[in-house]
Amino acid sequence: MKNIKYIGLILILTSFVGCSEVIEFDPHDEYAVTEADYLQTQEDYETMAVSCYTPMQWLNQLYVIADIASDNAVAGGENASDVISLQHLDDLSQLVPNNSTLSDLYLSAYEGINRTNYLLSYKDQNLQGETITWSSKEAMYGEVYFLRAYYYFALVKMFGNTVLFTDKKLGVSDFGTLQRSPKEEVYTQIETDLLDAISALPTTQDQEGRITKYAAQALLGKVYIYQEKFDEAIPVLNEVVNGPFTLVDTFDDIFLLEGENGLESVLEVQYSNGQPYYNWGGQTRGQGNYAVQQCGIRSLSAESSEMPYNSGWSTNLPTQDLALAYEDGDQRKDATCFDIEAYIAANPTWGITYQEAPYNNTGLYNKKYLPRAGQTSGQVELNYENNHRIIRYAEVLLLAAEANLRGSGSATDAQTYLDMVRDRAFGDTNHRVTATVDVIWNERRLELAMEGDRFFDLVRTGQAAGVIDNFVTGKHEVFPIPQDEIDISGIEQNPGY
Amino acid sequence: MRHTLIKCLALFLCVLSYAQTTNLSGIVQDETGLPIPGANIIIKGTNNGTTTDFDGNFTLKAEIGATISISYIGYVTKQIVITESKNLTITLEEDVSQLDEVVVVGYGTQKVTKVSGAISTVKSESIDQLKPVRVEEALQGTASGVSVIQGGSPGSSPTVLVRGIPSFSGTDPVVIIDGVPQTLADLNSINSTDILSLNVLKDAASTAIYGVKGGNGVIVVTTKSGRNSEKVEISLNTYTGVQSVFKKLGVLNATEYAAIINEGSLVSGGDLIFNDISSLGEGTNWQDEIFKDALVTSHTISARGGSEKLGYFLSSGYLSQGGIVGGSDKSNFNRFNFTANLNLQLTDKIKFILNSSYANIKSQTVAENSFNSILGSAINFDPTVSVYNNDPNDFATYGYSNLLLSEIFNPVQQLDNTYNESNGDKLYGKFEIQYDVLDNLKLTSRFGYTKWDEVGKSFNPLMYYGPNNVSSQYTSDGEVKDGEHNSVTEYTNSTFSYTFEAFASYNLNINEIHNFDVVLGTARSKSTGYGFGATRQDVRDNAWEWADISAATGVNTDENTDAYTGYSYQNLERRNMSFFGRLNYDYQDKYLASFSARRDGSIAFGDDNKWANFYAGSLGWVVSNEDFFNSEIIDYLKIRGSYGTSGNENVDPQYVSITIGGPSYNATANSNGYTFGSTFVSGATVDSFSNPTLAWEVQTQYNFGFDAKLFNNTVSINADYFNKSVDGLLFTDATPLYAGTSLPVDSNIGSTESKGFDITLGYNNNFSDNFSFNTSFTFTTSKNLVTSTNSDGTAFVTGGSYFNGQSQDVTRFEQGFSPGYFYGYVTDGLFQNQAEIDVHATQTGANPGDIRFVDVNGDGTITDLDRTKIGDPFPDFTLGWNLGMNYKNFDFTAFTYASVGNDIFRAYERNAQYTNKFRTILNRWTGEGSTNNPNTPRYTFEDSNSNIRASDRYVEDGSFVKIKSVILGYTLPQDSNNFFSKVRIYTQAKNLFTFTEYSGLDPEISGGILDTGVDRGAYPQARTFLIGLDLKF
Repeated sequence: MKNIKYIGLILILTSFVGCSEVIEFDPHDEYAVTEADYLQTQEDYETMAVSCYTPMQWLNQLYVIADIASDNAVAGGENASDVISLQHLDDLSQLVPNNSTLSDLYLSAYEGINRTNYLLSYKDQNLQGETITWSSKEAMYGEVYFLRAYYYFALVKMFGNTVLFTDKKLGVSDFGTLQRSPKEEVYTQIETDLLDAISALPTTQDQEGRITKYAAQALLGKVYIYQEKFDEAIPVLNEVVNGPFTLVDTFDDIFLLEGENGLESVLEVQYSNGQPYYNWGGQTRGQGNYAVQQCGIRSLSAESSEMPYNSGWSTNLPTQDLALAYEDGDQRKDATCFDIEAYIAANPTWGITYQEAPYNNTGLYNKKYLPRAGQTSGQVELNYENNHRIIRYAEVLLLAAEANLRGSGSATDAQTYLDMVRDRAFGDTNHRVTATVDVIWNERRLELAMEGDRFFDLVRTGQAAGVIDNFVTGKHEVFPIPQDEIDISGIEQNPGY
Repeated sequence: MRHTLIKCLALFLCVLSYAQTTNLSGIVQDETGLPIPGANIIIKGTNNGTTTDFDGNFTLKAEIGATISISYIGYVTKQIVITESKNLTITLEEDVSQLDEVVVVGYGTQKVTKVSGAISTVKSESIDQLKPVRVEEALQGTASGVSVIQGGSPGSSPTVLVRGIPSFSGTDPVVIIDGVPQTLADLNSINSTDILSLNVLKDAASTAIYGVKGGNGVIVVTTKSGRNSEKVEISLNTYTGVQSVFKKLGVLNATEYAAIINEGSLVSGGDLIFNDISSLGEGTNWQDEIFKDALVTSHTISARGGSEKLGYFLSSGYLSQGGIVGGSDKSNFNRFNFTANLNLQLTDKIKFILNSSYANIKSQTVAENSFNSILGSAINFDPTVSVYNNDPNDFATYGYSNLLLSEIFNPVQQLDNTYNESNGDKLYGKFEIQYDVLDNLKLTSRFGYTKWDEVGKSFNPLMYYGPNNVSSQYTSDGEVKDGEHNSVTEYTNSTFSYTFEAFASYNLNINEIHNFDVVLGTARSKSTGYGFGATRQDVRDNAWEWADISAATGVNTDENTDAYTGYSYQNLERRNMSFFGRLNYDYQDKYLASFSARRDGSIAFGDDNKWANFYAGSLGWVVSNEDFFNSEIIDYLKIRGSYGTSGNENVDPQYVSITIGGPSYNATANSNGYTFGSTFVSGATVDSFSNPTLAWEVQTQYNFGFDAKLFNNTVSINADYFNKSVDGLLFTDATPLYAGTSLPVDSNIGSTESKGFDITLGYNNNFSDNFSFNTSFTFTTSKNLVTSTNSDGTAFVTGGSYFNGQSQDVTRFEQGFSPGYFYGYVTDGLFQNQAEIDVHATQTGANPGDIRFVDVNGDGTITDLDRTKIGDPFPDFTLGWNLGMNYKNFDFTAFTYASVGNDIFRAYERNAQYTNKFRTILNRWTGEGSTNNPNTPRYTFEDSNSNIRASDRYVEDGSFVKIKSVILGYTLPQDSNNFFSKVRIYTQAKNLFTFTEYSGLDPEISGGILDTGVDRGAYPQARTFLIGLDLKF
């Protein structure tokens, strides 16, 4: 009988036992992989490094707005209220902090920084304090350093002073605690990262699209030139100039699918269509290049299956001003500015029809990235596989020429580099001109039009106010910090916005 | 003479007062003649007394002229002067004033008179009478402070809110069945005749002892238990009835439809669609084809009684309810219940209680509450189509539309091809040991559990909707199209939860003045679940009879990876650990005080906030017990007040997750992977932030109220005012852009406020032995406001999505508004001519006859920014009115429920070019001055003005009065039958009448906070007529 009493007591007491463990949560109960489980093997590190590349793909609009905001292109679209964020970048007088394209670019670049920071913060030790080593670890980290520099360079070009952090991926407790750093500090960090990258990276990679030492040197050279550190740029760029690159004879071929990662390619953002993406909520975040669909001709179709192009949305239209900038005989003109009427006239039997661009019609389309049949899949608008050419050998030559002319370099070298570019453009040596700074700058426009450099070139060379309508000096050198960020993070806005 | 008389009288009195003691004997019984064992009989002014035996008999030595007092819990104490020693038959009346009634509170019971918190009670009589399919039905309008919005689908869960709307999700109150925590969903498996009482704990003082689970109120269900030392009482209840739809929507007939389609086309510059409308006639009324009468049947049998050591309540029930949409074959809810509640007195001091219930639930459902559900199709489908195909040269079985070529199909075909079934087993109950250490100290330990296992199956046959329909899986010559397959899906879900509690109850009485009641305890609980499922294509003969994974033949190939697929999931294992305590004190039943506390630990909370503390206190003053209180009218008056906190653990545990793979479809599109060359390579990245400070939502509530009884206890009033605010409401905060695209986390940043009145008014009078009358009103109101979301109020949640050509979200949970309010454009009549359009704010695409929308923000243009609040789906107040009468052997009960001020958004109008239209279109704008009603703009296919955008055009006042239940019963006189102690036959009508202005089928539309009141073609409640029989023996 007594026993029964004690059973009751024991029952009561047992429930007091082990109270704390009961309410501890272990994510493994949910079969969730957490950061505590990861970065334990070489493969983990390498897999995570792959996703440090991903936000590069998301920045495709950066190359669109750099031409739209300049004299090279207009926003286009269906009407005045279509692609409104691009319209506002086209007419800078309308540019306000609430711009969805700039917001997305800002966010994407910072995601890249958070990803690279995360991997870098566990370089020496993972979360458990273990050190994982393998032979190509430093080389892999060379890619990560490069990528962080790439993302910061995108930010500093667009926004000037920007929030700088390098020690970690931000967590909840960091929200709202950061302020913008002077752009000089950001550039210093970019240089440091690129130098680290250069010292670690190999000159060739097994996989196309992986960052090479040359890509890092080319970017560093460009970063120096943006800071007008020409003498530092010269030796770095010379390494690339003397590298294994050559100019492709037919300019147009560079931008074909077959031309991807070609002889002239120093740095390209890779896209593919094997992983069809359907998420309109993240239209720039798939494996395809959203910018391609944008610049297509509206309702383009043909009776003939030989016509290679798909239709698109008629945004980012080259201006007649750009087309007129090319001399006769310059093969870059037709390879940059696609004249649809001329194309129809040249192919009268194909039965081509299209809808004239309903807004900002220039009659011209961005030939370099015009959407092509058979190069997309799934949700066709989102999955064009065209790579974005970021740094071509031709640009390296022009950068080197500029550095030599503006720094204490060799005018002869500059002339040589310019001649190489122009000889290829005209297919002969009869169109050489004397290399001056202005000539180089103009050549950059002709060579790199619709590739995403023009606005930033005009700003860094001080020509913007003279070229871009409604450009206000002291304001439009940088874009406004996204309003969301101002609201949420309490950081300072750029002057004038 | 006179002296003699006085002397005689004096002598007589002396004789009386010194009279001999007598051996008194008698029997104590209740009003029905059943003996009452254990009744107390005490001679007043002495300590002498006895109790009745098992058969209600007693003997007692008493003096003639003494007064004896006979008392028993739940009955009015009776006093009798002994005049002779003959066998007494003492009949105790049930205590109608119920002053000694007890309510079940957290971890104990309390006398109603000593309660200082706010508690609503529904007694077993009203549950017995109403015979609800689901228990929540019995709370609607009978428990003040509780809002119940019922659905029409058999067995469906209603929306239940206790005192307002604290959040946009997770608003279900916790359900405690015989001390064991369960969920609202578990109420689907309990047989209503097994229930003894329902108590709803409403204020913080009552709920704080449930801590982090108590924030949404607590529904305490007490089931019947055994009765020791009583003869077995067997009850048999049975009823059967017919359910039918009480209203159909006014849609166009075939001729009207064709005419309006022609008009729509012509106005848009198109051609005639129907060249000859004269031959079309009425066409098919699809609602007539899919609404079917359905049976509802219930049988229960129970036995209750016990010996000295063993008490038992055994019950078994069967309930079968068919659905009126599609009929019993396609829509139904069937439940078997078996319950055994046993208590065993193991020793003098130890009692063991074993409650076990098993329920089997089988159901079949039809698609509902969307424009392409069965009902949605019946409302919107082409009326010129015949039900079945009449053309012998066409292999189609069913009629099909050549105009409606997607989304909406022949509803009869849809119905006939709806195949699914689910079969679930639930086992729940408790093991409990009570140990009376001392007379006033009791230890209780119990283990409560709920186990649910469900298996289900559904079949998607190949369908043919005509040659041009995009969803046809056959070509017009009857061949299955390439890549089309039928498929069968089977699944199993399983959940298990338990709660293990131990607590000590101690009461102390000092000098009969100070009463202390103390409870101290601890609890731990766990809930878990998992599920598996598989889908396989190619079911033989395209037939339900062959629909089984084992018989299907689909095999995955490179071309078709969907032939045979499967999934599994694991629920988060939630664990809690808690300590709780309560102290109740009263001073001479006059001054009442209560204090409770609970400390809760939960795995759901962030690492920095593992434990939450909740406190509450209440005070009460029974004014009528004061000596100075002397009122002819007021028999009883108590004033109460309480203040305290409770919580809500609606969160998931936090951790920094890693995602591995490729493109992302989550909210931030945090994609992974990269292309090298043309080869995609998977990547990995951090997918989520972690908020280690994440904590519970805290509800702070204060409550003032009073209870009064007036006019000889015939009138009772209970009234409460409450004000509750939620702080730390879980809301997704805006993440700085520089933090990137990891998934944002919830933070405790929002807040809401609810306040209102709960009032119950009762009148109860036994006018004579033949006639008694009672009536009661309940009044429930709450005003709700979202007081903040994130720091700048920019974060909001949308819901109530529907589709009418465009996806529309029509409800919002947003700072400064009531939860779940309707959001859209405000209309201002119709443009009568171009001049009116010209002077109005710029409204792109507007033509005369189109709706004029209000430029709410005054910027001169009608844009998205002009959307604003256009309605509120939750009522301003609800009323319940219960009326009961007994005349001789007849009983009559009527229950009426009213909901006032609830708006409905009419979202069932699909508005495609060729869908059917509603009769209001016959009053459409046809030219200047024809009408200015924004609900009837011109009709055009083009709709360049987007007249169909979400606007107040679709918002209607859904206020209603429903006569929910009318019962007429007759109890056979007792002497006419010796075997049965009670025989009652009755007839009942449910949802007899609905009075409403709402144009849809049923103004009661349940759903989550963001779905309530959005009528996408909701399953209407049925009108039911039933007859029943209650037997006791």
